[in-house]
Amino acid sequence: MIYFLFAIIFVILTLFLRFFIGVEPRIILTFYLLGLIIFLFSFTVAEMPTFGSPVNPAFNEVPQRYLESGVAETGAINIVSSIIIDYRAFDTLGEATVLFVAIAAVIATIKAH
Amino acid sequence: MRITSRLVVPFIQIYGIYVVLHGHLSPGGSFSGGAIFGASLVLVALSFNLETGAKQISHQTASLLESGGVLGFVITGLVAIALGGNYLSNRAAGFPAGQAGELFSAGAILIITVFVGIKVASTIVTLFYNIIEGEK
Repeated sequence: MIYFLFAIIFVILTLFLRFFIGVEPRIILTFYLLGLIIFLFSFTVAEMPTFGSPVNPAFNEVPQRYLESGVAETGAINIVSSIIIDYRAFDTLGEATVLFVAIAAVIATIKAH
Repeated sequence: MRITSRLVVPFIQIYGIYVVLHGHLSPGGSFSGGAIFGASLVLVALSFNLETGAKQISHQTASLLESGGVLGFVITGLVAIALGGNYLSNRAAGFPAGQAGELFSAGAILIITVFVGIKVASTIVTLFYNIIEGEK
């Protein structure tokens, strides 16, 4: 029942904006799309697990392994460095490639004219 | 502006090198250290002029270093294969790990950090010069 009421208010608001105030349909559609995106994103954020909660899905055996045997396996006492350059080195290689491709695209765009 | 940057730039560069070299010991690492070093070179070009800045690091050197950074990364990964490990593996391939907590430790991590730092610094410099100079 309440959704039905909301839908009617929605339609009345749209018609009011369009025909009494004279807003263009493109602008109305843009704002509705923005509202939809904001609604979806805030819904996603509200559904996320609490920060630091011990029942989070991120607390599994993988970070435990990194914290317990990271120093012994990589020799680096900075755990972030040992993850990004040892355990996840292939990802960092992709990151460096992204930088390379970005600069190649900039040079190609600017110097091509 | 010129006097200040002439005073400050060496310290910024030393700090950038420190952040890159201590990437496996302290917070920071290749990306942030390379950004600091590149920003110091950009600061020279901003406070003096473009020609003085280009004298610090020429365009050809910058683009060579940039390609060399990625190439060094890839070659370090291939060296790990040659030593008998997987691609980009560190201890398993037999890189000397050293004592944990010293400067020259952690094997391939230090080498890759230096390469990525060089690459990020030269990327910032190349981007800056290409965008400032525009179409020529």
